Order: sequence, then structure tokens, then C-alpha cells
Amino acid sequence: MTSKNSFLASCRENHKRRIWVWIVAVLSQLLLYGGMMMIYLSRIRGYQANGDYRDPAGFQEAMCRAARDALAFSDNLYGTVFILAAIIGMQGFSYLYDRRKVDMYHSVPVSKDKRFAVVYLNGIFIYLAANLSGMILGTLIAVSQRAVNADVLANAGLAFVWNLFLFLAVYHMMILAVMLTGNRFVTVCVFLAFVFYELCLSSQIGSLKRIFFKTYSEYYISTEPKLSVVYDCTLNIWNIKNASDAADAAAIAMPIVAKWILIAAAFLALAYLAYKKRPSEAAGRAMAYPFMEPVFKVAVAVPVALLAGGLVYDTSYQNEMLQMAGMLAGGLIFCAASEVLFDFDIRSVFKHLPSSGIALVGILAIFSVFKWDVFGYDSYVPAQNKVESIAISADGYYDSYWDENRPYFEKSQFEKENMFLTDTEPVLALAKAAEGADPETMGDGRYVQILYRLKSGRQVARAIATDYDDPGTEELLNRIFRTDAFKKGVFQGITDETSYAALEGIIYTNGPARAVIPVEEAGRLREAWIKDMEQFDFTLVRHNRPCGILYFNYKNYNQRQWYVYDSFENTVSALKELKAYYPMELDAADVESVTVTCYHNELTQDPEARFRGDPGYELYRDAVAAETYAEYADDTDYTVTETFYDEEQIAQILPHIYCTWGIDAPWGRYKDLDENYSVQVVFKRDTAYPYQRDSYYFEYSFYAGQAPDFVVEATAYTGESE
Amino acid sequence: MIEIHNLTKHFEKIKAVDEVSVEIREKTVFGLIGTNGAGKSTVLRMIAGVIKPDEGTVAVDNMPVYDNVEAKKKLFFIADEPYFFANSNARTMERYYSGIYEAFDREEFYQYLEKFNLDKTRKIGTFSKGMKKQLALLLGICAHTKYILCDETFDGLDPVMRQGIKSIFAKEMEERGLTPVIASHNLRELEDICDHVGLLHKGGVLLSKDLEDMKCNIQKVQCVFCAVEDELKALNGLEVLKKEQRGSLSTITVRSTREEVEARFATVDTIFYEVLPLSLEEIFISETEVVGYDIKKLILG
Repeated sequence: MTSKNSFLASCRENHKRRIWVWIVAVLSQLLLYGGMMMIYLSRIRGYQANGDYRDPAGFQEAMCRAARDALAFSDNLYGTVFILAAIIGMQGFSYLYDRRKVDMYHSVPVSKDKRFAVVYLNGIFIYLAANLSGMILGTLIAVSQRAVNADVLANAGLAFVWNLFLFLAVYHMMILAVMLTGNRFVTVCVFLAFVFYELCLSSQIGSLKRIFFKTYSEYYISTEPKLSVVYDCTLNIWNIKNASDAADAAAIAMPIVAKWILIAAAFLALAYLAYKKRPSEAAGRAMAYPFMEPVFKVAVAVPVALLAGGLVYDTSYQNEMLQMAGMLAGGLIFCAASEVLFDFDIRSVFKHLPSSGIALVGILAIFSVFKWDVFGYDSYVPAQNKVESIAISADGYYDSYWDENRPYFEKSQFEKENMFLTDTEPVLALAKAAEGADPETMGDGRYVQILYRLKSGRQVARAIATDYDDPGTEELLNRIFRTDAFKKGVFQGITDETSYAALEGIIYTNGPARAVIPVEEAGRLREAWIKDMEQFDFTLVRHNRPCGILYFNYKNYNQRQWYVYDSFENTVSALKELKAYYPMELDAADVESVTVTCYHNELTQDPEARFRGDPGYELYRDAVAAETYAEYADDTDYTVTETFYDEEQIAQILPHIYCTWGIDAPWGRYKDLDENYSVQVVFKRDTAYPYQRDSYYFEYSFYAGQAPDFVVEATAYTGESE
Repeated sequence: MIEIHNLTKHFEKIKAVDEVSVEIREKTVFGLIGTNGAGKSTVLRMIAGVIKPDEGTVAVDNMPVYDNVEAKKKLFFIADEPYFFANSNARTMERYYSGIYEAFDREEFYQYLEKFNLDKTRKIGTFSKGMKKQLALLLGICAHTKYILCDETFDGLDPVMRQGIKSIFAKEMEERGLTPVIASHNLRELEDICDHVGLLHKGGVLLSKDLEDMKCNIQKVQCVFCAVEDELKALNGLEVLKKEQRGSLSTITVRSTREEVEARFATVDTIFYEVLPLSLEEIFISETEVVGYDIKKLILG
């Protein structure tokens, strides 16, 4: 027999006090799941009526996809879960705000533990009942429309778990907010602080680093919140929604859910502790624990001040002093507003000045730390004996990375996972040399991203400015580039463990020519290329442009690209044997025409240049300037285009051009190619050269300063626009 | 018995209760009297286990009360503004309390509702202040706890209702040993109901005594002495608390038993003398004036 005072009886009694929450929760979930399901499926049926689906299978797949979107992961759902958690959490324990209610509830013979458990579990029960009702309704609608398959149900199950732990994390935050406060308004403020504090603080700290630290980099390690539930949702919901199946979605979702479990547990423990210690007389007060008032004020004043400073910085055209003033004003206003909030009395605006002073000093200290780089952020170079290994990314090479588990991931991620430079001395020397360097004043200033893995386990990331034209830099980069650790950390082709079973084709191209190589030759080519890569260093890639690229095409549109240089004898030789090698230099006999366009950058970049030699230029310089700038403003077209059909002239041009159509030069010099000219090569229709027939012409560039004189002459600007 | 020992409570910087020590004996009606802000409600809330004292102890039948379910089973606390659930009626409240207090007598509750003319289905929100207090008292009585703590509960009740509640208290005390503890700022409210009174002022206890003891030990005598010597002889050895003279008529308040006073006055020549009963108010005036307070300013307004 259940005793009169049993736990279940208490739960039942508590539910009677929460009728409106029940109604809000159940209605919101029924309307959301049911409504979304009907709208999504109706949309697909509309598309079908328009004839968008050619076959029933496509329509069926679209219906299931729509059902999955409605039942599983969507912004609407997590937003609703978030709001429900907040409402249920606050309503359940809101009796603590009212002295009359506290007098009643705390005087009756019910233990505090039991009351907490009843209210807490009932809140979860309300959510679960509402959420499941909505899901069941949505599923029934989907079943009635034949829009359910195993993946839909698996995703719905995963979303249920995701939403449950999202609910718990937010629910516990709200309960803690209630326990720390004495009225609804302040509870909402504290709750919002819990939810957005880290998000706001980390974004503002990131902004300050971007503004003040030259070596700050988010390439390897970004200043992003680690514990923000909102951030987790907004960042990942899209990826989860677009995962290929439930297993992929689970792979993304479950680590986040695991983190939320820890967050939820921590907030619950704190909430319970605060509940146990909470004095009944806190009802109606702003903060239940008076010592929390200055803590809350100072802690929240910091991100608020940083935010205010950031706004002023952005709107004042990056004025740092105004930014500081904005921070102080923001902090001061927040401190004053907090005191008014705590006392509900405008006269309290200047109360507790010492804690306001601490907040302002803290804000000023934070600004100073960044503005004057108090801790030497920009000059940080770890001692060599403290560094375990290093990963670097030297600007100038980009690639997409994938593996059997990940359809795509960033280069930085690949480097972090695969590059472990243990010969750290050249990197540290680069970093030391870069101290105070300004890429604007360099011949070819580029950023090198560095990830220091320290022996202590800590990881530090920096971006240093280096001059690729500097011989000393070149030598240090050579030492880095020559290491196997660097090559393995950049070129996935070297360490590629991907099965050749997934390989669908191999292509070699020099730009226009495209040779198909049997997939059986993959091993041979790889072996040759890896052997050639032994000569790989910075000087090679800096001063030589690739003569072609080998593309390995895998299933699911995945691809690897291997650059081939003239000096890669083994690869070139293998390609020649496979009759797949085509040199960069074309044969004039294959070419129909070469069209050269000269942009006359010297005129657009220095509009007065063409008048400098004129008599009286000095005398009428101001007038000339006015005229030229007016002309410049009129977008005068200085380009001159000339097409050459003569085979002899073409033969003189071809040795000096490089294909820019589909071929780039990793770490190459910008200045290698002449930006003043573009060259279009048109092949003869009847040539045997295997150029790609779906393209009429191919883009080339002259090597810098190598445009033949007759070309320069033919494309000279004569003052007549074309 | 409820034992309160050195109870102290601060609300931020304000000392609401200052080392209060009182014993509330069973089967007595204990009146806690004091001005607004004297600390009555705070003391009652600490006795009820609602708030935790900063210092001191409250023991209900030798059990600490704060967050102690067993001790709280012996108490029913009626706050100065009792809370009823939103949109509830008497029946709703009965169901709630009968689920919490095992000995709650539902039959008795509904009988009392009829007697007091309270509609069990009417929303409590439409009740007058007095009706709400009646309902709270009936819920408390029917919970059948050993102690019932009433904070300003009798203020605002009309005399008929007060009498009705008093008779229920008397019956419950007789039948099951109920011990009501009643806090009020109005001495006259407690006069006809309390056995023992504690006077609180500025958080401390000015006095705590049995009403009967006080009444028996303080006598007011009106008399006309034949000569000054007679007066001196009559009052010699008696503790005179107050003396007023209007012409030859003396009104003297002394601390002594009626028998002793009558014996003294019988031995001296008087033209007239009479030992008169003291009101609770007069007793308090006399008692507090002795310790330097003007009771009229404290609780009589």
C-alpha cells in the first residue's frame, strides 16, 4: 500500500500545481512536430505535383528526408527545447521567490531533498511526455504519408537523445539560476549569463587578440567557447542534419552529448548545493546569497565591457582609445545597473563602489594586457628544450583533405594530426627572426602558422610573418620542407592508406592536355612520385613551377592531387612510359592562335605615368593630375589585345608562357608570372594533341619579363581605347 | 515541549531576533506578543523550521526542527498571510494537507467548514481576509498536529469567530493535548486566550510568564487610609509597582498574592479598601514599567 506521504503521491500533487506548464510543453511539441511534419511533407508533395521528381524512388527519398528533418534535427526543435527547459526549470522552483509559498512549503513535514527530487523529476517527466507526444504524432503523420524508413527512425532516436541532454543542461542551468536568485527578473539575467557568458567572453577575447596581437592565429587553435551549449548547437546542428546517415550523425552528435552530460551534471550538483544552502529568507531578494552580488556584478561586467568596447571600436573606425573608453563606460553602466537591479532602487546606482572599482580596474587591466602586450604574446618563442614537436603551415599551398571516415576536413586539421617536426630549431629560428616583422615591408611577406606542442602537454599557436624572398628564410624553410615529418604532414598522398579499391581513375594534366592512366598503374606512379619527393624542398617549389599534376580520383568525388616538377625524373619517366606525359611547352604546329592581352597596369596604377615625358608636365602637373584622375575615375580601358596567327611568332611566344588553367604553383613566387599580360592559346581543330576539346581556349601567362618584343610592341597603349 | 534557547537571527545587518530563550509547555496556549518588527514572525518561522537560526537552537519534543521531517510532523504553521494554491478551494487545500499530514481528519474538516459557513467549492481567492484565516486555522486544527503556530492569525477575526476558534482550541487541548502558539501585536487579542505570554521587543524577550502567575502575583488595591501611618504599615515589606493618589483615594499595584494583601490591609485602619482584578494590559504595564519600558508605546499604541 502506498503511504499518504509517498514519493509518487508528492509527484502527483506537484503536477497539479504545474498544469499550465504541461499545457505549454505538450502543445508546443505537438504543434511543432505535427505542424512541421505536415508542412515539410506537403512541400515535397507540391514539388512532386510540379514534376520535380522523375521517379517514385526519388520522391520517396525526398519524403523520408523531409520526415527526417521534421522529426530529428532542426533549429526550431532545439530552440523550443531550450525555451521549454528554461520555463520548466523556473516554474518548478519559483515557489522559492515567494515568502508565503516558502512559509507553507518549508513548514510542512516534507524534507528538502524530497521536495527537490519531486520538482526536479517532474520537470523532466513533463518534458519527456511532451517531447514523446510530439514525436509520436510526427511519426504517425509520417507513417500515414509513407515517409518513414529505418534512417528516419534512427535519426529521430538520436535527436531524442540529443534534445534530452540539451534539455537537461539548460534545465540545470535554470535551476541553478533560480537557486542563486530571489525573483524572476534576476533569475533570467543570471540564466542568460550562464548561457551566453563563455560565448560572449571568448568572442570578445578573440576580437582583442585579433586587434592587438600580430601573431594571433586561429588556424590551429581558435578562441572558441568550449562549454557553450548554444555554440554547440548552432555550430553542429547543420553538420548533423546533413550527415549521410544516422551513424554519421551519431559520430558528430555523441561527443557533444557526452560533454553536455558533464555540463548538466556539474550544474545539477551546484544547483543542489545552492538549494540545500539557500536560506528561506532569500525569497524576493535579488540574489539569494548576498556574497554573489559583487561576484555576479564583477564577473558579468567584464564581457559586457569588452562587448561595449568592441562595438565602439568597430563604429569608430578602429579607434583604440575610444574602445577603451567604451569598455570603461560599458563596465560602469553595467555595475550601476546591477546595483539598481539588486535593490530595485534607482538610488542604489552608486552603491558598493569598491566592487565597481574592482570591475573597472579589471577591465582596464584586460585592455592593457592586450594593448601593451603585457605578457609578451607576440614575442613568445618557446625554449627549444621545452618543445616536443611542431606543426607548421607555410602560406602558399592549399589542398582539401579526406579519409575513409571524413568526407572533408581542413588542412590545419590534417597538419595537426600528421605533422610532428622534432627538428624544431629552424622553426624556432624563423619565429625569432619574425619578431616585430611587418609583412607589408617585405619583398614577399607571408604568414607561417605554427603549432608548438610543448612537453608539458600544452599547445600554443602563433602566426609569424616571414619574407619568402629572404635567402635566410629560404634556407630555414628548406630545412623544414626537407624533413619527412613536414612532407607527411602536408601531402596526404605520401601517407595515404586509402585502399586503391576506391580508386576510380588517374589523370595527368599539364593544363590543356589530359591523359587518362589505368588505375592499375597507381602503385607504380606513387612509388616513383614518393622517390622524387625526396628532393622536395622550399627552393624547388619556390623557384620552379610544376610541369603538371597527377589527379587520383576516388569514389564519392574524392580526389588527391600530386604536383609533378620537371626534375621529378622517376615520375616523368613513368608517365612517359605510360604515354601520359606532355611537357608544359607546346609545339607551335599544334596551335591555331595565341591571343595576348596587355592590361597596362603601369597606367592604371600610376595614371600620370604616360604624361611624365611630355613637355610642360612639371609646369602643369596639377592640371595633369586632375585630368588623369578624372580619366581614371571614368574607368578608362587601357587594355590592348592582339591575336597572333603566324606560326613563327607563335613559336617565339610558346617557350615563354605557362599554363594557368587548372595548374597552380604551390609556394610559388607571385612575381614569376607577368600580371600585365594574359595569354589565350587556341589549338588547331585537326591537331593530334590531346587537348581538352570541351574548352575553346586555354589561359596562359608570360613568365615575368619574358614577353617577346614584338608582342610588347603589338600590345602597346596608343591612347586609343579599344 | 518546544524549547528555544538563545535564538538569534540576522537579516543582513539587521538583528531580527536576539538571543531569545523561551519554553513552550504542552497543553498551554502560548502568546507571543510584540510590536511590528519585534521578531515574532521570525521566531515563529524558526520554530516552524522555515528559517534556520544563525545561533541558538529550537527543539520540538527534543528534536531539532530545521529540515527535520519528524519534528515538523508535530507542527502546523499558519503564516500571517497564509498561502493557498492559485484557483484552489477548500477541498483542494484539504487534499494537499491530508496528503502531507497523516493524521489529517477530513471528516472533521468538512464539519468545521459547515459550522463556520465556508463553502468548500468556492475559490479561496474570493474569500475575505478573515475567511482565509478561518480556513487556515481549520486546516491547521484538522491536521491534528501537536503544536499549531499562528502568526497574527486572530487579527481580523470577528468576535464570534474568535470565540468559535477558541472553543475548538479548548476542545482540542482537552481531547488531544493541542498546544497553540499565537503571535500577535495586540495584547487585547491574547488576553482571553493565552495561558502563558512572552513579550518580545527589539528581537529580545522582555518577559515570559504564566498569565495566572502574573495575575495571582500582582494585585491592585483601591483604598482610603485613615492615617499615613496606616499606609506605611500596610505597604511595609510589599513590592509596590505603582501608586496613584486621587484625593484620599489611593490606587496601589503591588507584587503579592491576594491573600497576603488582604491580610495586610485587614490589620490597618482603612476607611475603605478593595482588591481589584487586573486586566492583562494592566499587568503588562506594571511588569514592563518595572524594567524601564513604557508598554503603552510598545504594544498598546
